[in-house]
Amino acid sequence: MENKSQISTILIATLILCFVCSVSFAAIGCELNDPDRDIQKIFPQSTGYKTDYFTIQEKGGEKLKKEVEEKLGDAFDPIYESLDVPYSYYTILKGKDVIGYVHGVNQKGTYGTLQIILATDPDGKIMGFYYQKVSSPEALKFRDKAFTDKFIGLTLEDFYKYGDPNGKIAAIKDPSQKSQEDFKATIRGTKKNLILLDTFLLNKKHEGSYKGVRNDEYK
Amino acid sequence: MNLFSVALKNLARKKVRTALTVGGVAIAIAVLVSLWGFDTGYQRSLNNDIDKMGYQVLVTAKGCPYEAATLMLQGGGGLRYMNEDVYKRISGDARIDKITPQLVATAYDPGKQSGRGGISLYMGIADSYLTLKPWSKFKSGKWFSDENALEAIMGYEVAEYEQRSVGDKILIPGRNEILTVVGIFERNGTQDDGIVFLPLKVAQKIFEVPDKLTGIGIKLKDMAQLSKFEEDLYNEPGIQIISLAQVKGTILNLVSSAKAMTNSVALIAVIIAVIGVVNTILMSVFERTSEIGVMKAIGASRLDIFRIIWVETTFICVFGGVLGNIMALLGGKTIEYILKSVLPYAPKGHLVVITPHILTLSFFGAVIMGLVAGLYPAFRASSMKPIEAIRKGE
Repeated sequence: MENKSQISTILIATLILCFVCSVSFAAIGCELNDPDRDIQKIFPQSTGYKTDYFTIQEKGGEKLKKEVEEKLGDAFDPIYESLDVPYSYYTILKGKDVIGYVHGVNQKGTYGTLQIILATDPDGKIMGFYYQKVSSPEALKFRDKAFTDKFIGLTLEDFYKYGDPNGKIAAIKDPSQKSQEDFKATIRGTKKNLILLDTFLLNKKHEGSYKGVRNDEYK
Repeated sequence: MNLFSVALKNLARKKVRTALTVGGVAIAIAVLVSLWGFDTGYQRSLNNDIDKMGYQVLVTAKGCPYEAATLMLQGGGGLRYMNEDVYKRISGDARIDKITPQLVATAYDPGKQSGRGGISLYMGIADSYLTLKPWSKFKSGKWFSDENALEAIMGYEVAEYEQRSVGDKILIPGRNEILTVVGIFERNGTQDDGIVFLPLKVAQKIFEVPDKLTGIGIKLKDMAQLSKFEEDLYNEPGIQIISLAQVKGTILNLVSSAKAMTNSVALIAVIIAVIGVVNTILMSVFERTSEIGVMKAIGASRLDIFRIIWVETTFICVFGGVLGNIMALLGGKTIEYILKSVLPYAPKGHLVVITPHILTLSFFGAVIMGLVAGLYPAFRASSMKPIEAIRKGE
């Protein structure tokens, strides 16, 4: 009887240990939880995808970081947006044709990380937007389709015109009452996401629009 | 021409066949080395994990382990609680060097896994926690300002994952409680890296379990008193005593069962490799029947023939052994990655540790394998009668 109790005791401890250890966390890059499933859901017509990993370190280092920060209009967090953060890009294929990209970024929110996933067409126009993770008392409002759908159709140019009161971004209203910072973080994360996509995969296709907006500002 | 160069020359005659046989031996040796490496690495990591828990004995509430595990895995609380009074009673025991109360709590986070939900882990701790874990250092920040403060200290990995710095807020999902991060621990390679710590009283309040604990960690002044101490505590109602040495033993036993199976598979691989080697060398002997006959006819002794064939077999196994060791060294990381994703409980640290001792052992194992595998073909070759051999070869 005592032996049985001891075995139970040991089993409990073992199970607790297993459980505790399984709740450890992975690296700080933002990857899709289940790429096969997630990509099929976003691009049902896709026949495959390939994954690439880039860091700012390997693609241009400090100089590139400064360039991205300038376009973003904000400095990178020295701890969590360091040069060696890996960014994963999923290039979506239909046969041999590229039909889009999926890319996520970790954006610091008020209560935790926001994982913002964007699906774009080959030109970088947003076709899908969702939060893979959001920590907020108003998380449901942020996840609401009525809010996330407002990002569909936007391009990097729209984000460069963020300050324009008549711009498309200005038309997106904060869905929350108490989490304005998370709304701002969402806009920042999405803009950063598009800038990095443009830099790493689109050969800076949207560079012209950035220069155009900047020249307008100086006029 | 000496014996070794004759043997090497003979092996080089059928390059593909020799390469395939060497490959077979190499795979068997690589599997064997990886398994031994896993055995060493797993035990080492597990010892490290358990030592870094800081205590030798864990006191928990009584309960059915299966029920608790099921509830925990389903995302419910599932944890059994005991009264804090137990801690107060036990802490007076003169045999105790250090003791700390703990309250482990889980919260269902609907924001995890793309909105499909997941579990976040929290632990209420008291000031005494750090006395049991002197290696826990702050990367930034400090200890809680007060036992009732709505503050949190985060493990290194969870802070990184949530991008939290000292002064930031965190939300406890489901409870809608907001805490301020006052400290972040340095990475210490244990489960603590993934936990958010709260003052014990705050955790009891937030998770609505006032005056309750899930565990008491104890370190004794003298380990020799462990059995007597455990025996005395069995009289306390509603609690159970877990010696971490037993936990370690249980996990190792569980792993041993799996290891016995994989070792059997490795043994089968080695046997198949040996049969492959015997087969290859026998084929080679039969193909060279007339040649062996001529060698004997011009004066080669039975021992000479035996040695040539025996050395050929040993060479195959030695090359296979060396290649297998290289393969195991190069593939260790991959095997570790697969094991970590497959095992229900994988301790932190390297799971596959291939030591020089293992490499030496496997190399000599391969040599012995070659010597054994070569016996029969060498015997067959050396037993051939010259005239018959020359005639058969024609």
